[in-house]
Amino acid sequence: MNAARPAEQVLWWLAAIPATMVIIVGFGFPLVQSLVASFTRDGVLTLANYELVYRLYRQDVVYTVLVAAAGLVLTFGIGIPLSGYLRLHHSQTAEFLLKVPLFVPFVVVGHAMRIFLAPRGTLLIFLHALGLVSQDTTLAISEGWLGLSIALAWKHLALVVLLLMGAFRGVGEEYLEAARGFGAGTLRQIWAVMVPMAAPSIGLAVVLSLTSMLASFSIPLMMTKGSGPQMLMIDLYHRYGLHGDFGTASAIGVVSYLLAAGAAYYYLKGVVRQ
Amino acid sequence: MNATVPPAAHQRDRPRGLLALVLRAALVAVLLAAVVGPLAGLVLWSVAERWHWPALLPQQVGLKYWARITQGDLLAALTRGVAIASVTTVVALVAAIPVSYGAARARLPLGPVLLMLFLLPQAFPQLPVFASAAVLFYRWNLAGTYAGVVLIHLVGGLVYAVWTMTAVFRAIGEDIEEAAINLGASVTRTFFRISLPLALPGVVASSILVFIYSLDEFTGTLLVGAPYVTTLPVYMYTASLGYELQIASVTALVLMVPGVLLLVLMERFLRAEYLAFFGRL
Repeated sequence: MNAARPAEQVLWWLAAIPATMVIIVGFGFPLVQSLVASFTRDGVLTLANYELVYRLYRQDVVYTVLVAAAGLVLTFGIGIPLSGYLRLHHSQTAEFLLKVPLFVPFVVVGHAMRIFLAPRGTLLIFLHALGLVSQDTTLAISEGWLGLSIALAWKHLALVVLLLMGAFRGVGEEYLEAARGFGAGTLRQIWAVMVPMAAPSIGLAVVLSLTSMLASFSIPLMMTKGSGPQMLMIDLYHRYGLHGDFGTASAIGVVSYLLAAGAAYYYLKGVVRQ
Repeated sequence: MNATVPPAAHQRDRPRGLLALVLRAALVAVLLAAVVGPLAGLVLWSVAERWHWPALLPQQVGLKYWARITQGDLLAALTRGVAIASVTTVVALVAAIPVSYGAARARLPLGPVLLMLFLLPQAFPQLPVFASAAVLFYRWNLAGTYAGVVLIHLVGGLVYAVWTMTAVFRAIGEDIEEAAINLGASVTRTFFRISLPLALPGVVASSILVFIYSLDEFTGTLLVGAPYVTTLPVYMYTASLGYELQIASVTALVLMVPGVLLLVLMERFLRAEYLAFFGRL
């Protein structure tokens, strides 16, 4: 076998050090520091930061989970039937269009959606031009949960459809044929055959989207302007940037780690399996 | 796909042919509106010098705001971003290759553990960690410097580089390497003469991913680079804070150019597994 000679093994190890150091210095160490900072204030061990998080931000924790949940429902409510339909009826145009949001950076999505969903934004302008709304109409979703979840779903749908189509293509044609033989239509083939058979991949896609939505920062930052409930990452940014309160900011961070941790566990497990 | 469907199935489908065709056309139309709609708003705002509700098109259209690309702070942010992305890409690629190759060939003991380490920045919320990194960088005089921004971009960039290139090296047949080794070449020589040349297309794809990641990176740049190192995404955020919707829209469209170019050009060449990484930008 082609096992490397000991001297070469040392060489490969040495070559791997710089990249490893970057992750440790740029991510691992800061991660540990934020954990420590969340339990300290003025150099003393305390839970004061968490008390403040509970007092000021407990509603925002709920809000963040709800926005992410709404985003998930939208993404998969559209993504599953769409991917299933495209598995059965291939359409190059539709697949190309669906890939576009993958290539649009998060910040740009935030800005585009802010303009699109504003009280008198471009969506309303288009609807008015089509004669669907009157001149007095205003749209009040751009800063709320609905606008946020629409923007998050718009960005995430592309990746989800890509993952789901890959999984659905893995479902053998013979199973679908059998279902068709029993008279199953498109929807029936999706729900009764593709979804159960691709369940692990769907689970992974759900977890990937959920962690990303819970920790979303640039989209809400571009879309919201400060009043009402906020996403946790916005609270963290203000706590850190405006108040210079690194301890409380870190405690918010730890809450977000915990929210993501359960999901990340399955994410890592899924990736390892692949 | 249809080739595998027996004729009987087609026969049964036929009565629903028209309905299916209408459904399909409707689907493409809805998708087109949903995908292009928000982006069309950007284009309109980028040329709107005066636009009052409820007109479909701006009353006064011009390239006044587009002219900003050729001058001043927008151009500076663009060139700065390109410079940072270039350095980040080269460093990330060179640093990632030994890790990826080692992990792909199980030549590094603890390779799988190392790979997991390179997943960490994707598995955890980035903002709290980058805020913490900014505190550290401030202490080390790296805050507000190019070196600091490149370092924070490397964290995310390495994730893309290591994982895509591990997939690339895994895809190269091991037997051809074993042939070289059996003929007396060392592992290192085999790598440089056989594996790396074979992996070149994948390395190119990987470097494009890292380059675009760095160009679009917002969170880390905002926290570590402020206030001296402004790249385009941060510039766009500042413009949008000041309600300069036109400037922000021009910037947004400029930011989309590399990605859209890549989508159009590489539609045929880019394999789905690389594509999946784009979703994490």
